Amino acid sequence: MKPPQTLSRPLAGRVAGDQPHPPAPSPMLQGGGAQLPPNVIEAAVAALERGETHYTDRPGIPEFRAWVADHLAERFGLRIDPTEVTITCGSTEARFVTMTLLAEAGSAVLCPGDSSRIRGALHILGAEIVDSVQDDVSLLYLSPDVYRETSIELLQRAEDTDWWIVYDLSFAKTAPRFHPAQNEKLASRVVTIDSLSADLAGWRLGWMAGSAAALRLRAGKQAITICTTAVSQWAGLEFLRSRKS
Amino acid sequence: MTLLNPNIPESVRAVAADGTQLRYALMEMAGQMDDIITLGRGDPDLPTPPHIVEAANRAMREGRTGLTPVQGLPQLRGAIAEHMRACNGLPVAAENVMVTTGGQEGLFLAIQALIDPGDEILVPDPRYTSYDDAIRRAGGEMVMVPTDREDAFNLEAEAVEGAITPASKALLIVTPSNPTAGIVTEDRLRAIADVCIRHNLIVIVDEIYGRIVYEPWRHFSIGSLPGMAQRTITLDAFSKAYAMTGWRCGYAAAPENVIDAMARVKAVTTGPVATVSQWAGLAAITGPQDCVGDYLKIYTERRAVLLDGLDRMGFAYGEPRGGLFVWADSSSTGIHAAELSYLLLKEGRVLIFPGTAFGENWREYVRITMLEPIETLKEAVERMLPVLERYRV
Repeated sequence: MKPPQTLSRPLAGRVAGDQPHPPAPSPMLQGGGAQLPPNVIEAAVAALERGETHYTDRPGIPEFRAWVADHLAERFGLRIDPTEVTITCGSTEARFVTMTLLAEAGSAVLCPGDSSRIRGALHILGAEIVDSVQDDVSLLYLSPDVYRETSIELLQRAEDTDWWIVYDLSFAKTAPRFHPAQNEKLASRVVTIDSLSADLAGWRLGWMAGSAAALRLRAGKQAITICTTAVSQWAGLEFLRSRKS
Repeated sequence: MTLLNPNIPESVRAVAADGTQLRYALMEMAGQMDDIITLGRGDPDLPTPPHIVEAANRAMREGRTGLTPVQGLPQLRGAIAEHMRACNGLPVAAENVMVTTGGQEGLFLAIQALIDPGDEILVPDPRYTSYDDAIRRAGGEMVMVPTDREDAFNLEAEAVEGAITPASKALLIVTPSNPTAGIVTEDRLRAIADVCIRHNLIVIVDEIYGRIVYEPWRHFSIGSLPGMAQRTITLDAFSKAYAMTGWRCGYAAAPENVIDAMARVKAVTTGPVATVSQWAGLAAITGPQDCVGDYLKIYTERRAVLLDGLDRMGFAYGEPRGGLFVWADSSSTGIHAAELSYLLLKEGRVLIFPGTAFGENWREYVRITMLEPIETLKEAVERMLPVLERYRV
């Protein structure tokens, strides 16, 4: 028998026909491992040697979640409990889960900056991306690279709405101390996304933290990948600890 | 059924209608208790074989950890295709294969690529409820296909055909089954294939336990049958056969246009699988396979111990023909399965899962794993027996 090329029935509308497709698969990127400090590799080797080859806690190893909570407290003065942190397979999974669970199908997602990283998830959900306020906005997507004045204006607007707010620190070119969750009126609606994609791309490590939806987001991640790769989490934790020290 | 104990914690009651969350609530409760024997989660207690760990260590030390294409390492896709041709009889090439972040993501991607809102997907009952979310998110509707203990939870073509409506698009098969440990035998799969061809149904088959099948039974892949390659999406993973759950590495085989669509979804869902896990997967599938047989021998011995214990407890069961569980009928206790699981955890310090975690109708069943050493399984039986005697109606 010849290898099959085409399924005997049409694919789902979200991936077939003349509908816009999500971005094409990434090309192979070299590196991301060769440059890693030896202690990171040895931490990963040590984790495997002590048998860290099983499912981890669904939201991630407790030490990593605690690091994220501490980091957000130190950098932005946020009070986020480690139980509100979920370690994900890169920031891609964090974005997919937050977009598809918090934005509503048929609604608009307000994105005043680069929307390329959320376009695919929102296409699958069936939500529209807009760059100015309109009535059907259900979620505001911001990154540190959006002009601060624009962010502040939109966040003030958000105070009178029920928008979810996703603040994506991964791939940001700037690192301000400003954070939407510093506004106490908004804090319970703000999810922070970050990752180690710049340094450990092939290890697939990201996280989503905070908000009243934290447990729902955790369950959403679990439904896709159960947990994040165990050895990656141990490598990432060592990387973060050694970078800090 | 009498609900003897009205004091089940709110954390369990609140999620009792959601099978997946119910399992996690019980696991979290168990995690806060001391000296628990966990026969709940399907996570092999055995280690990942040393040659696989060594291959991962080599890859890390040599810096082979950069990002891969979203479909997976080309070498791994090729090796998986070769394995599926040789061991499963599937007519696939590397282009028909993609690497997924565990078997569960494979199902998620397949559903996203296939199911439109309103499409019906036929699902054998009981079911692994973690798949519900993927179907729900795509707007699909689950239609249950009954199976029963007298038939060792084998799937009947007549039952499948009886559940088909004009909206039916796909049939989900998990063989060996989680939770029932039944397998869909070759003769039944041939009859089911005929039904699928006649009604133009797509088959999504999860074969993650396909290499854990007990004598004299044999695993068979429906995608190998004439006319099925272009209507079958086969899912598998390294997690169970090689004790690699924490590596999150699985794979899917399907017609090329399905793999293309799944890859486009994966690019925005999780991106590629962790590279080190893919090197480990390559070592697993191309290296010595003795470990799979060795582990099966261990599970076979444990299964005998567990079945003996269930006999002593007065639980009936369909013959567990594959997988890592026993799906046992607990109706002789007269206690609702959720209640029973709670009592066994609280008073017996043994974690098992109630049948209601795998379908609303299974309140007289429990799922028990064999993922502890034999002495621990024996201890678990000894712990459970007095609790059952205390509360049996």
